[in-house]
Amino acid sequence: MKKLLLVSLCFLVLCVTQVFAQNRTVTGTVIGTDDGLPIPGVTVKIKGSNVGTPTDVNGKYTISVSDGQTLVFSYIAYNTQEVAVGTKSVINVSLVQNTSQLSEVVVTALGISRETKSLGYSVASVKGSEITKARDPNIVQALAGKVAGVNVTQSSGTLGGGSKIVIRGATSLSADVQPLFVIDGLIIDNSAQQLATTNSAVPQGTAGVDFGNRAGDINSDDVESMTILKGAAAAALYGTLAKNGAIIITTKRGKRGDAGTVSFSSSTRFDSPLVLPKFQNDYAQGNQGVYNIANTNGWGPKISDVQGQTFPNFLGQNVTLQAYPDNIKEFYKTGKTYINSVALSGGNEQGDYRFGYTNTIQTGITEQQRLVKNAVSFNSGRTILKNLNVRTSLNYVRTVTDGLPFQSSNNANVLTTTVYSLPRTVDTKLLRDNYVNALGQQNTLTPARNGNNPYWLMYNNKTGAVNNRVYGTANFSYKVTPWLTLSDNIGTDIYYEFRKSTTRNGTIGALTGNFFTANLYQRIINNDFLATFNKNVTEDFNIKFIAGTSIYENYYQREQIDAQGLTIDQLYNYANAAANTPSNVSNKRRIQGVYGDLTLSYKDYLFLQATGRNDWSSTLPSNNNSYFYPSVSLGFEFTKVIPQMDWLSYGKLRASYANVGGDTDPYRVLFAYNPATNVFAQYAAGVNFPFNGVLGASTPATIPGLSDLKSQTQNSTEFGIELKFLNDRITLDADYYSNKTKDQIVSLALPQSTGYAFKIINAGDLTNKGVEVSLGLVPIKSQFTWDVQLRYAKNKNVVTLPSNIKQYTVQSGYSGLTVKAESGQSIGLYGVKWDRDIAGNIIIDPATGLRKTVTDKRLGQTAPDYTAGLTNTFSYKGLSLAFTLDARKGGVMFSNTVSTLRTNGLGAETALNRGKVFIDKGVIPGTTPGTFVPNTVPVQSMQDYWSQYQAGNTEANTFDASFIKLREASLSYTIPSKVISTYAKFIKGLQVGVEGRNLWLIHSNVPHIDPEVNFFGSGSAGEGVEFNSVPTTRSFGFNVRLTF
Amino acid sequence: MKKKLLFTFSVLTLILSLPSCKKYLDINRNPNAATTLDPKLLFSYAVTSYVNLRPSGDLGMPMVLAGQTMADGYNNPTGFAGGVQTEGEYRFDPLIFGNPWRSYYTSVGNNLQQAIGLAEAATPKNVNVAARAKVLLALVYYELTTVYGDVPYAEAFKSNIPYPKFDSQQAVLNGVITTLDAALAQFDETSTIKIAAYDMFYKDDIAKWKKVAKSLKLRTYLLMYDKDPSVATKIGELMTAGGMVSSAADNMFVPFEDVQQKKNPKYDIGERYNGKQNFFFAIKWVTDFMNPMADPRLPKFYDIPAGQTDYIGIEQGTDGDDDVNPRVSTTLQSAAQPEVIYTYEDQLFYEAEIYARGIGVTQDVARANTLLKSAVKESCLFYKVDATTATTFSSGLPTYVAGASGPTSIVYNIHYQHWLDMFDRGLDAFTEWRRSGPAGSEVPALTLPVGAPSNGLFRRYEYPISNEINQNPNAPALIKYYEKMWFDL
Repeated sequence: MKKLLLVSLCFLVLCVTQVFAQNRTVTGTVIGTDDGLPIPGVTVKIKGSNVGTPTDVNGKYTISVSDGQTLVFSYIAYNTQEVAVGTKSVINVSLVQNTSQLSEVVVTALGISRETKSLGYSVASVKGSEITKARDPNIVQALAGKVAGVNVTQSSGTLGGGSKIVIRGATSLSADVQPLFVIDGLIIDNSAQQLATTNSAVPQGTAGVDFGNRAGDINSDDVESMTILKGAAAAALYGTLAKNGAIIITTKRGKRGDAGTVSFSSSTRFDSPLVLPKFQNDYAQGNQGVYNIANTNGWGPKISDVQGQTFPNFLGQNVTLQAYPDNIKEFYKTGKTYINSVALSGGNEQGDYRFGYTNTIQTGITEQQRLVKNAVSFNSGRTILKNLNVRTSLNYVRTVTDGLPFQSSNNANVLTTTVYSLPRTVDTKLLRDNYVNALGQQNTLTPARNGNNPYWLMYNNKTGAVNNRVYGTANFSYKVTPWLTLSDNIGTDIYYEFRKSTTRNGTIGALTGNFFTANLYQRIINNDFLATFNKNVTEDFNIKFIAGTSIYENYYQREQIDAQGLTIDQLYNYANAAANTPSNVSNKRRIQGVYGDLTLSYKDYLFLQATGRNDWSSTLPSNNNSYFYPSVSLGFEFTKVIPQMDWLSYGKLRASYANVGGDTDPYRVLFAYNPATNVFAQYAAGVNFPFNGVLGASTPATIPGLSDLKSQTQNSTEFGIELKFLNDRITLDADYYSNKTKDQIVSLALPQSTGYAFKIINAGDLTNKGVEVSLGLVPIKSQFTWDVQLRYAKNKNVVTLPSNIKQYTVQSGYSGLTVKAESGQSIGLYGVKWDRDIAGNIIIDPATGLRKTVTDKRLGQTAPDYTAGLTNTFSYKGLSLAFTLDARKGGVMFSNTVSTLRTNGLGAETALNRGKVFIDKGVIPGTTPGTFVPNTVPVQSMQDYWSQYQAGNTEANTFDASFIKLREASLSYTIPSKVISTYAKFIKGLQVGVEGRNLWLIHSNVPHIDPEVNFFGSGSAGEGVEFNSVPTTRSFGFNVRLTF
Repeated sequence: MKKKLLFTFSVLTLILSLPSCKKYLDINRNPNAATTLDPKLLFSYAVTSYVNLRPSGDLGMPMVLAGQTMADGYNNPTGFAGGVQTEGEYRFDPLIFGNPWRSYYTSVGNNLQQAIGLAEAATPKNVNVAARAKVLLALVYYELTTVYGDVPYAEAFKSNIPYPKFDSQQAVLNGVITTLDAALAQFDETSTIKIAAYDMFYKDDIAKWKKVAKSLKLRTYLLMYDKDPSVATKIGELMTAGGMVSSAADNMFVPFEDVQQKKNPKYDIGERYNGKQNFFFAIKWVTDFMNPMADPRLPKFYDIPAGQTDYIGIEQGTDGDDDVNPRVSTTLQSAAQPEVIYTYEDQLFYEAEIYARGIGVTQDVARANTLLKSAVKESCLFYKVDATTATTFSSGLPTYVAGASGPTSIVYNIHYQHWLDMFDRGLDAFTEWRRSGPAGSEVPALTLPVGAPSNGLFRRYEYPISNEINQNPNAPALIKYYEKMWFDL
């Protein structure tokens, strides 16, 4: 498919001079070794001359030659091959794909294809085939470790859960840090819609239940290529929306001239938790060594010490205590994923088509968790009249999830805490087989209010969603004159989502039962009209100018009903609820833009591009809603002008500057009162209006920006170099960039004594400076090829706030933990720290032997210092083995799960020193005030010692988030076409493989969990917090790909 | 054909690309919010938030536990603690300190401020909504300062002052008086603007509002008196002028409803978490005082375990035994139980104290005895003891003589009776206890709960870190929960 895209370009750039003075004709067909299909547009040239011809749509060519000459077959992204003519009259050639050249042509902003050598900014391209090699059902997650400077974090191990992607560090202190997603010219929605419910303080969307972000709907099997526009210059034409970069996705198309190809692929995958906590297996539940069934912990007696006695278990039976070392492991099951995809494509000289269907069925690592996704795509282009082309694409995706687990806190259904608090004496099987008693009521884990049986939660309390999404585009392109093309791309992305969550009567924390349903509707309409002028002024000098207008509208609406107090058990009907709370929200944002893009090229090695765009946004005050921003970039292939050197095959310098403006969310300008549905009361359900027969309305919590609000701006400078040595055996691509976002529109937390919680203002600058290096090596290149790709990215993030603002809360967490910004620092994690003396020793309270604490201290930055990736690919004939390592260095993370395991006395480390005298390392005040002496005071008990690791003591649960991971590995075998043609002629290609993702956490500094989770999810600038998240998974599977 | 296509294409493009810019972009008005409204809606929201905050897990429950009017039953699986240390043992989650601050200043206070602004800007002025909102605002200031000490007052609630300075407690309490005086001056009993049910306290009975406003002034001066005896004159003036709360019909309260999502939080948490069982146990400070007198309020306060005859309260931090120890009555803490702000017995207890101590009036112990008996009788009636028993019991109380000290003194008994009358109003009882005597001589003489850190008794909420301290450069340093505030000697 990529070939087709490139054909047009080849015709443009290739100088095919008149064929003359040859004495005979050679014909032949050029095919690709990768798929055995003919390649149109291959340059067939006589070595040492300018004589050449391209292959036609069927890969066929005819050329006049003389004996003794050599033909050179070259094609972008394939290794050039030379064949001596000799006396042959038919020369058929199979070209081998060259992965190191894949980024030669990329689709950039507004769907404009450009040669990478002409670009003055850094882009990265990922082929569709690379993301389906070891597939992740979420296409965002599949990018992890693939591109330098692109950081992907997973929200949880929930099916369909979110993945957040950040390019070159967070450019914003507010929620919006993710790049724009564009499919076939259409800007699509990638939100992770959150909704608050009456029965939970934690918004359902990412934090409570992870419903994922909507880029996860994109079907990897339909993707031809993804281009990652990293910097502002690359994305400048998209304006405001792409201030965090853009990911341009081109979907697969049929080939003109292909009578019809059917391709089929099937993957089966098995998922299991990547990391499970390490538990102690010596102590039962209780308090200070005394057994108590009311406790869900490990602070009871040593099991071996009480073998002569019996104790009540959760069923009320008196039993001898025994540890079940695998009880948590047994709780999780193997999740299964089946992805089956079929596509039919083809075309004639007038048009092309492709129809694809992919079915995904997943079951989770917790029982009852399920996801079913059906994706249908259609893409067709047609030449209606000479010079008038139309293309439409239409995609329908239906995603159904159920049994999604609750995370974080403040909800009866939170699963991970329940599971990780299971005493060691609890037999998971007994728990499952007896989750209800003879009367059908819950057999709770404890008689206390913290003891839901996890199987009761999973079997009865279901949370899920149905999302129906349609997106598509229509594109018209008319070539008015050879130098002027008018085109229009219109598209829409619409989805309806229905969410439902039920809590059965008898669930502790919600004994009277409840449920909610929500209908979400999201729509984007996007139109771009472009006029493209392209003219060679002289033979060496080309001008290309694009002028365009754009309109964009984003609309969201939600209706939700919360039902509390159910009469008939398990009947989730509003009429069965004692109270129903309806609520509705909607918002709309519009942006209009006009833009121009001028590209000058000289002799095909010097390229200057300048763009300008003016946006008008509905979200800013009408006096400040227009903003203009320019960009300029320069690409210079210097190897074209310096004397040729054998060792240096390609060299290019690039430089760019861009300025991008930014608007804000809707409705942040006017002061307006909100009708209230409910007021808050801690622990209780709160009260719904009407209350005592009257309604209520409330002043907003946020002071709006009023007419002072103006657009924020981002300035970005970038320098890059691209070098290829020794016939492309070594490739180096390096960038330095500096981005500064000024006048950020932020929601500044106010002291609440003002009567408000936030104020919308322009305040704060954020600078990101960094380098990105991609190094490619081909140490061995023969029938056996070894290809190494190394990626490295370092980013430094610095915040500057106005002097009157102490700090800015990026994301408030729980229990004294916040993600904040302070002048001169990077965005960091703040919370309670151990108190230390000047020498850095922890100060111990001599009264208790426990550590003293200080509040609101910086614990470290949340972003990594650098990330690195390494991909090794070994190929021998049709066999290919590839694996990717992914590393992160620096940054910190907080884990609530670790806190739970330690304070509960369940983590393996808590078994040490129990019953012994333990003196913590630190100092106590000396006799002279202000001096300290080494601590001599023992802790009263290890239970007391570990109680210091409660979530409120942030430092106790904060770790270095560095890790090294075996991100993916795959082994595939392409059955040689010779074998196929012998045994099954109708088959064009057959490939089988095994694949694995997230296979091995090689190094981590965080105990008990995978350090790579982010509770705040994709919709937030906050990172570095794990909060009872569902464990991430390791996947292993196999796949078959067949084309005929 | 080609021309037709080109024409269609151009027209379509123009239509889609170039709509009228100004109108097209003029959509930044939230269709689900109102730029103006009747201030009664803000008033009702503020009141609802206020009466939900007071009994909630953020304020009422921590206060009854840390203030020791109820016990958490420590290791009892269905007690409030459930085996985990709670506010009863002085384990405070930072949210507990932060949420009331947020509610008082934003959902309650700021809505009252906005209601006052809208009511006073209306034509004609809606004076009674403004004045009622001021009485509530005075309660907000009073409770904020009794919970946290020095708090922003003069510069609070101003959208143009981003970092309000903190005022001394004395200044805040004087501000409470100023605010109540402003309300009293503004009330107009002849106004025809009615808000009916939107006045959840007195249903437009402005006379009752004026009475309670005066009583709240009295309570505020009494809080200040021991630190600033100069307010005695003001107390004397109020006593002379009268016109304060004078019968149970004047009580200030808002009822809850026995309807899902409209229930009193104290009842609701038992229903949601505990199979409708009450979480709270009787505490010995209450039962030990009431038992010897066979107080008829005991069966109204508590549900006694089957087979038990004695009301045996426990110490805070010790295990509640369901066979022995009573829990707080589910008849009392019912779904529809009103949230009470001020009662007639409060008024009588204060008046008894004023005469017993001779604050701004001539000391009159006989009158104090009479007032104390009336107060106890009103308290019995409030807790639904029948009238005959209430009269018999209260008139049978000892008559205290002047000059005695300690448990036989009239002042001690007034304080103790007033404190236990408020056992279900956590913050009010806690404030009453702190003002009942200098540190170490409060009534009753509480001791440190079992398992609590040895720093001293609970005396305040700490300033909230994330809601205020971190955001406000004018905020003072953190003050620990065991440190005293201005009025607390």
